[in-house]
Amino acid sequence: MAHNNDTKQAVRSIFWIWLVLTIVGVVIGIYAPGWLMPKAASSTMHLVILTVIVFSVAAAPVAAMVYSIALYALVKWRWRGEGVPPDGPNLRNNTPLTAVWVIGSTVLTIFLLIWGLAALAVDDGGGGGKNPMTIDVTGQQWAWSFSYPGTHVSSNELYVPVNDKITFDVTSKDVVHGFWIVQMGVKVNANPGVTTTVSVTPDKVGTYDIRCTEICGLYHAFMVTRVKVLSDADFSKWLASQPSRA
Amino acid sequence: MTTTLEHTAHESKSKAGGFLRHLNFFTGVITGVVMAVIFYVIGRVTLDQSGRGFVDQLTTVTGVGWVIGFWLGIGALTGVGKWFIGKDQTHADEMYLAGKDMGKFRYWKYTTDHKVVGVQYVIVTMILLGAGGILAMAIRTELMTPGNHFVNPQIYNAFISVHGMLMIIALIVAVAGPWANFVVPIMVGARDMAFPRLNALSLWTLVAAIPLLLGSLCIGGLSMGWVTQAPISEQAGPGMDLFALAIITFAVSTTVAGVNTICTVLTMRTKGMTLERLPIFVWASMIAAGLGLYAFPFFLVVMSLNLVDRMNGTSFFIAAGGGTGWLQENLFWLMGHPEVYVILLPAVGALFEITTVFSRKPLFSYRTAVGGMAALAGLSVLVWAHHMFTTGWAPTLGGPFMLTTELISIPTGIVFLCILGTLWRGNIWMRLPMYWVFGFVFNFIVGGVTGIYLSDIPVDNQMHGTMFVVAHFHYVFVGSVLFGAIGALAFWFPKMSGRYLDEKLGKISFWLTFIGVQVTFLAMFVSGLRGMPRRYSSYSIIFEHTNFISTVGAYIIMAGMLVLLGAIITSWRSGEASGPNPWHSKTLEWLVPTPVPLENFEVLPVITEDPYTYGEELVNS
Ligand code: HEM
Ligand SMILES: [Cu+2]
Ligand SMILES: [Cu+2]
Repeated sequence: MAHNNDTKQAVRSIFWIWLVLTIVGVVIGIYAPGWLMPKAASSTMHLVILTVIVFSVAAAPVAAMVYSIALYALVKWRWRGEGVPPDGPNLRNNTPLTAVWVIGSTVLTIFLLIWGLAALAVDDGGGGGKNPMTIDVTGQQWAWSFSYPGTHVSSNELYVPVNDKITFDVTSKDVVHGFWIVQMGVKVNANPGVTTTVSVTPDKVGTYDIRCTEICGLYHAFMVTRVKVLSDADFSKWLASQPSRA
Repeated sequence: MTTTLEHTAHESKSKAGGFLRHLNFFTGVITGVVMAVIFYVIGRVTLDQSGRGFVDQLTTVTGVGWVIGFWLGIGALTGVGKWFIGKDQTHADEMYLAGKDMGKFRYWKYTTDHKVVGVQYVIVTMILLGAGGILAMAIRTELMTPGNHFVNPQIYNAFISVHGMLMIIALIVAVAGPWANFVVPIMVGARDMAFPRLNALSLWTLVAAIPLLLGSLCIGGLSMGWVTQAPISEQAGPGMDLFALAIITFAVSTTVAGVNTICTVLTMRTKGMTLERLPIFVWASMIAAGLGLYAFPFFLVVMSLNLVDRMNGTSFFIAAGGGTGWLQENLFWLMGHPEVYVILLPAVGALFEITTVFSRKPLFSYRTAVGGMAALAGLSVLVWAHHMFTTGWAPTLGGPFMLTTELISIPTGIVFLCILGTLWRGNIWMRLPMYWVFGFVFNFIVGGVTGIYLSDIPVDNQMHGTMFVVAHFHYVFVGSVLFGAIGALAFWFPKMSGRYLDEKLGKISFWLTFIGVQVTFLAMFVSGLRGMPRRYSSYSIIFEHTNFISTVGAYIIMAGMLVLLGAIITSWRSGEASGPNPWHSKTLEWLVPTPVPLENFEVLPVITEDPYTYGEELVNS
């Protein structure tokens, strides 16, 4: 009987530790991602941040459970006597508990999976906008160049109109580079010999960062540039002002 | 001394071993260098110097010369040679080969005794970790401030490439090398490994690979990172040739070792040691070895194709010649993801073992533990493309690979279940090994949860190639696997040396390392979340603070490792004597004397129950 009381006491204490840790975890999970990650400049990036929040909140009770049991064991079941402790109870298994544990983690996994698949389906680069456009992106050791099909305009900084869906056709002249618009949550590698595509709809006027994410040699760290998201009118003005480099 | 050895005393001692008496590590190095020079000269004379691949051919040929020379000079081929000319080894030769009556010098020789090999693996692991650690400190020092101050970008790239590969190799062997060799044969009740000479071969082949890897750093031009992505690995300097050759050599070593472990467990078990009664560490070692047999051939293949591209102008990985870099990435990660479980599983097995002994309780749910580890191994071969979500290769396969990757959390949860279930209501004896168990539990949650973020494709599209990924895998490699490896060392150190690993220094080392890991890698998560790409030698000012913190944390880890090194050296020399079974464990390795005699058992034991009978008297009385 003493065992039963022991167990009950343990479960009760662990529950309270778990509750506190879970609350702490959930609060961190809700606030930290938005605070630490760049301010979103596209619906894709909003979705990324939301997913990080959801996964953090889902992970909090699981991590809290492991931590609370470990913490309780460390404090309460620690052997404080001299020498080798006597044997503990001969608990070899507990089938219902094992089953609950495995089923619980399966359910959680299925939830994450459904979320992931749904997010993947929703995220096709955002709405079409009025003038969806395509931009050719070429990586080259160690710079990016952007050209606007049908215009003969090409530039080392990226200029895009706001609220239009932009499709990037990405390739490389030499080695693999990684084309990443940090605040928009889109990334695709620039591979020599093939073209890869990624789409995004910028939803905020401003200046954002492009950084190379695949090691590409000596100046990989300096293969950074900017993207300027402009209003439609400003964008047209910029395009018209560019010397054509046909 | 076992009875089988008695009659060897009568044989003439001077002849035993024959030619091998003259061979050791030093003759190996000398022959290796001589052969390298000979191969180099032959290469210079015979190869077409105007060909595009000339330098690569010459470098590779020289490296091959080193490996063959080292093998010859240390005696790896002597047994085969003797057999070839029709002379077999006598029993006295075999005993000589096992290091009988040779004293300390046997550690410098091609010695077949699995316990000697175990000790040699401890030393080799420490050398690898030390070399990788020095590079890590150099990398972190460069990253302490935003600009390039400490090393130039070229050296920085070489450092991250070799750091990554050294550490991967170090962790592959960190638990399996020392302990699958030292304890597994005893645990299953065998007198040695199934193939003692292959055991020595695997160790010394690994040793032969180390100078190649370090040499690649010296001859330079490593611009590609440890994943050797093509085509940058095709354009890298001649260092890449030695880098690839080092990995090919290493792949041979692990394959030989893996076969040996599996055969030992399957065929050498003593009477009554059914699979159901195997200590859990034996299962972990066997599953990891089996997974390695699947994974490492890909390693060998990917590096070989790369080398042939470089030397001979083929174009497996070059788009312009009809190849594709995506092939390189697929082959690499077909190896790469299973490999992380080759690394993880032995550590988990060791931690299971430690947890039962120091909780004085049976392992919770033994069969679930075995099944969980098998499931981890099985799933791990199906997830490789989660490293390729942003490459543009096969976008339609994203969903399936997201599925398989997330399924891994189920068996990962089982690892926690078994550890926590074993702790449950135990009498937890907080000796040094147990500290590392709790550290593992803490860190592996962080590593596992962040792995789930990365398996989600929209999130990975943001995180891939950033410091977030680096922090993720360092939580698993350093925070979990290295913790497991150190726990295993603290646990089995008394068996190996007859002395305790100093508890006080060990605990100081634990706290430094534990705190250092949190400081370094939590800050690194933040660098990644804020948008800092990895493998940047220089970065924007906005990442300044978190990088500075990571560097401080890295120095704390280094301090922890130096204290551990001090503890190992002082304890080995003059630590407190432990007796044969200081932890009152029930697995076989603790029931033989310390130091463990050659051939381990005087009489092979007969097994009637598993080693987890803690608390059974309580039940029966
Ligand atoms: C068993 C311990 C683990 C180890 C040792 C490990 C190791 C690694 C390593 C080395 C990388 C990066 C390789 C590189 O790009 O250089 C990585 C990336 C990744 N890991 Fe893990 N990992 C572990 C567990 C997990 C788990 C449990 C998950 C998922 C549930 C996971 C998911 C991922 C994903 C999705 C990536 C790819 C990230 C990216 O590059 O975009 N890992 N891991
Ligand atoms: Cu780059
Ligand atoms: Cu992986």
